[in-house]
Amino acid sequence: MNGKIGSVLVAGSGIGGMQAALDLAESGFKVYLVEEGPAIGGTMAQLDKTFPTNDCAMCTLAPRLVDCGRHPNIEKLTYSELLSLEGQPGHFRARVRKKPRFVDPAKCTGCGECAAACLVRNRGYFEADEPEPLDLEADQLAEIERLVQEHGSEPSSIVPVLQGISAKYRWLPPGAVRRVSEVLGLPLARVLRIATFYNMFSFEPRGKHLIKVCLGTACHVKGAGRILDTLSRELEIQVGETTKDRRFTLEAVRCLGCCGLAPVVTVNDDVHGKLTAGEFLKVLDLYPG
Amino acid sequence: MKSCHTHLLLCAGTGCVSNGSYRIKEALERELGRHNLQDEVAVVMTGCNGFCAQGPVMTVQPDGIFYQLLSDADIPPLVEEHFLKGRPVQRLMYTPPETQAPIPKMSEIGFFKKQRLIALRNRGLIDPENIEEYIARGGYRGLAKALGAMTPERIIEEIKNSQLRGRGGAGYPTGVKWQSAARHQSDVKYIICNADEGDPGAFMDRSIIEGDPHAVLEGMAIAGRAVGSGHGLVYIRAEYPIALERLNLAIKQAREYGLLGKAIFDTDFDFDISVFQGAGAFVCGESSAMRASIQGEPPEPSAKHTHATEAGLWEKPTVLNNVETLAVVPEIIRRGAAWFAGIGTEQSKGTKVFSLVGKVKNTGLVEVPMGTTLRDIIFDIGGGIQGDRKFKAVQTGGPSGGCLPASLLDMPVDYERLAEAGSMMGSGGMIVMDEDTCMVDVARYFLDFLRDESCGKCTACREGVDAMHQLVSDICAGNGKQEHLALLEELGQAVKDASMCALGSTASNPVLSTLRYFSDEYEAHIRDHRCPAGVCKALLTFGIDPEKCKACLLCNKNCPQTAISGEKKKPQKIDQEKCIKCGVCRDVCKFDAVTVQ
Amino acid sequence: MRFEDLDKITDRMRKVMSLREGSSQAKITVHMGTCGLSAGARKIMKALIQCADETATKDVIFSTSACAGLCSREPMITIELAGQAPVKYVDLTEEKAKRIFSEHIVNGKIVAEYALAIGSEQTL
Repeated sequence: MNGKIGSVLVAGSGIGGMQAALDLAESGFKVYLVEEGPAIGGTMAQLDKTFPTNDCAMCTLAPRLVDCGRHPNIEKLTYSELLSLEGQPGHFRARVRKKPRFVDPAKCTGCGECAAACLVRNRGYFEADEPEPLDLEADQLAEIERLVQEHGSEPSSIVPVLQGISAKYRWLPPGAVRRVSEVLGLPLARVLRIATFYNMFSFEPRGKHLIKVCLGTACHVKGAGRILDTLSRELEIQVGETTKDRRFTLEAVRCLGCCGLAPVVTVNDDVHGKLTAGEFLKVLDLYPG
Repeated sequence: MKSCHTHLLLCAGTGCVSNGSYRIKEALERELGRHNLQDEVAVVMTGCNGFCAQGPVMTVQPDGIFYQLLSDADIPPLVEEHFLKGRPVQRLMYTPPETQAPIPKMSEIGFFKKQRLIALRNRGLIDPENIEEYIARGGYRGLAKALGAMTPERIIEEIKNSQLRGRGGAGYPTGVKWQSAARHQSDVKYIICNADEGDPGAFMDRSIIEGDPHAVLEGMAIAGRAVGSGHGLVYIRAEYPIALERLNLAIKQAREYGLLGKAIFDTDFDFDISVFQGAGAFVCGESSAMRASIQGEPPEPSAKHTHATEAGLWEKPTVLNNVETLAVVPEIIRRGAAWFAGIGTEQSKGTKVFSLVGKVKNTGLVEVPMGTTLRDIIFDIGGGIQGDRKFKAVQTGGPSGGCLPASLLDMPVDYERLAEAGSMMGSGGMIVMDEDTCMVDVARYFLDFLRDESCGKCTACREGVDAMHQLVSDICAGNGKQEHLALLEELGQAVKDASMCALGSTASNPVLSTLRYFSDEYEAHIRDHRCPAGVCKALLTFGIDPEKCKACLLCNKNCPQTAISGEKKKPQKIDQEKCIKCGVCRDVCKFDAVTVQ
Repeated sequence: MRFEDLDKITDRMRKVMSLREGSSQAKITVHMGTCGLSAGARKIMKALIQCADETATKDVIFSTSACAGLCSREPMITIELAGQAPVKYVDLTEEKAKRIFSEHIVNGKIVAEYALAIGSEQTL
């Protein structure tokens, strides 16, 4: 990179885009920083702390905002979108549409008077959408109430409550998850974060019979992988999916603790061990649709 | 039951139950009734006997006759011959393949003979659903001694002197842990029993809870007395329904007998136990993740600025012990520290339960003194390799452990020796592998497991394990490059150094240990594009040996891809274009004519 | 629950547990081959069990075995007290069995008049 010619377009002006633009500009390129929103900076300003050092987000972001704003080699195209990009490395042609903002940026000092004086209020940035009605049967609602009664409405009851729902309905219906978030007073994101962490919870309704193929080490060395392949092929579903006729759901599980019987497959609560893939296919006949 | 002179101890562990031991029970009761023997012979369902490979198993006491591999049809002749006419049935006894001579007595079978039972002291002897049988075997005597004749300091001293170390993996001295928790003043302290047995291939915790739940409860109560805690909690895996049921029943019975609850043995000691069911996340076995899980937080490990014995669950002093550790505690208190410290090696005392599984003849649970060699465990107790194939490796310590080769078979097993050899004790899984196991595939398997179970908090573990998995998968697929081996080693070291919790810091063990002992297999995959064990699909070619093929057409009919063709009465052929290497043809062939290269 | 309650339960369960562990003060083997059965071995067994129940003797285990080889002298039993050589009794009736139980098992005195031999044949 000796002869510095041409210019670079950076799409997006989040923390990554800004840093890229700054590095390029510093090394002598002309940079066009294209941003869809009305201002550069991206999402980071909304974060409190960052992983893994727990540094304050604004402390990382602010110097770059200022640098990008001042750098002579960076031309900011905010409130703009990239319409097309053609060509090849070294010779691109980009078309960018700059949306009208009805404010002359050269003169604006950012005093905010216009926003304060405006008679038409825009909707706030963080205002949530109107919540959809809960898609829950009356009995499901009652079951959740019962579970919360039993385990308590503290946030720490979340796992037992979700387990109760999962035990009864064999999956977590979306409405139920939202209801749990309401009654335990936890943000939906938090409930989902916990529910998705555990393997036990399914967000898809399961079929009539649940097949679990044990992939513990003992089962693995005795060919559990091939059993899983065979089942997946014969039932024409992937792991975690349910057959079209809703007869079977196929799941993989890490060790059922029946290592003496390896390879082990359970259907519902029945354990079938020491079988070959072919023999196991015959076992499935015991479980009608 | 009162006047019965014979007890049939039928195993009701998960292994035997799934092989139909409850059906056997019904058949036995029906046949005994038919011969009017129901007042002389009683059928008792016990916890796991340990010899899972031969299930369902039954011991006839007091004679100690051991029957195995029972089926419904065996029962009528068995009852008539043995219990009516007094002639034990040789056909149903364990017959070692070497001698072909049936062994009638359980105590003489190699699998049982060499074991020494402490944690599993009641296995197969008591009905786990009857607290009185536990008491009659010396149960709750340890707690009685601890409450009646010992101060809390004395209890801790006793456990320290016994040199008991945690059986869950790390091997931290139990007495030191208790002492630390006892030292911190707090109105509330917790004793947590870690029954979130996540290591694939290990099932001793499940077996202990299923077969002898009161041993764990008693151990927890003693721990509670020692550290000054009134609250016990068992964190149990969701995948163990029978264990959960028996645990709940045991807690209920212990409360009824006043062995849990207020003023136990009329002393000032109150202790009660609750149960928390896990929901299937391997990382929850880690102490800080388990704490988060119980508190309803995302179960990710966190940095341990303070030790859990100072501020653990709900910021209160907490002792977290493994099931096996707690099950041993009552015996140590009852028999004294010197007795326990007299068993084992210099730094590892007592016995350890191993789950001996994989390609070994006698799969099951075995308990041996620390310092027993791998060879004794695998060949004397385990009976050697299935089909008398060649031993290749034994994997110990679960996903965080390593694979040890044949050259280390004479190594005495204890915490230090295993760590020196690049593996670890872990919870005591012992997966035996023969020449048909591909070590690269095993490394890939563990990486896949850990990639799945990594909570994703630390970049090193999340990205590093994934990158190692990609590299090893490439090698399995025949796309490996020589320089990948050095890269793997470097990555492994980085993941080890940079991860916060034990899951990440041990995640590279399976790769590093296989690289250390089985580098020739990696080389074969990379250089010769060959999988010596015949496991890695992408490197295999299936063929049919025309000499051996008897043209039975079984493979032809069973091939899911119709890749096998050939006329009747002529040797069959495989169309390599269509073959997906599923191996069905090899499974169904009765003449061993399907070859794999 | 008091400390001494543990002893009570243990005591109550002793019979069951000694049987489970296969260890006890006394072991009675009733020989139940075809010859033994037809000579009335089952009645002997029932009588002995009844004795054990009536006297609340706990450290006794019962076992059955096949023909002892001496078919003409059936019914036969073998009694082994802990640490002593086994004693074989022959030509039994229910009354004889009851007497053997109370003298040999309970009081430890061999009933010489019914006994065939002390000790057993050698096996390899």
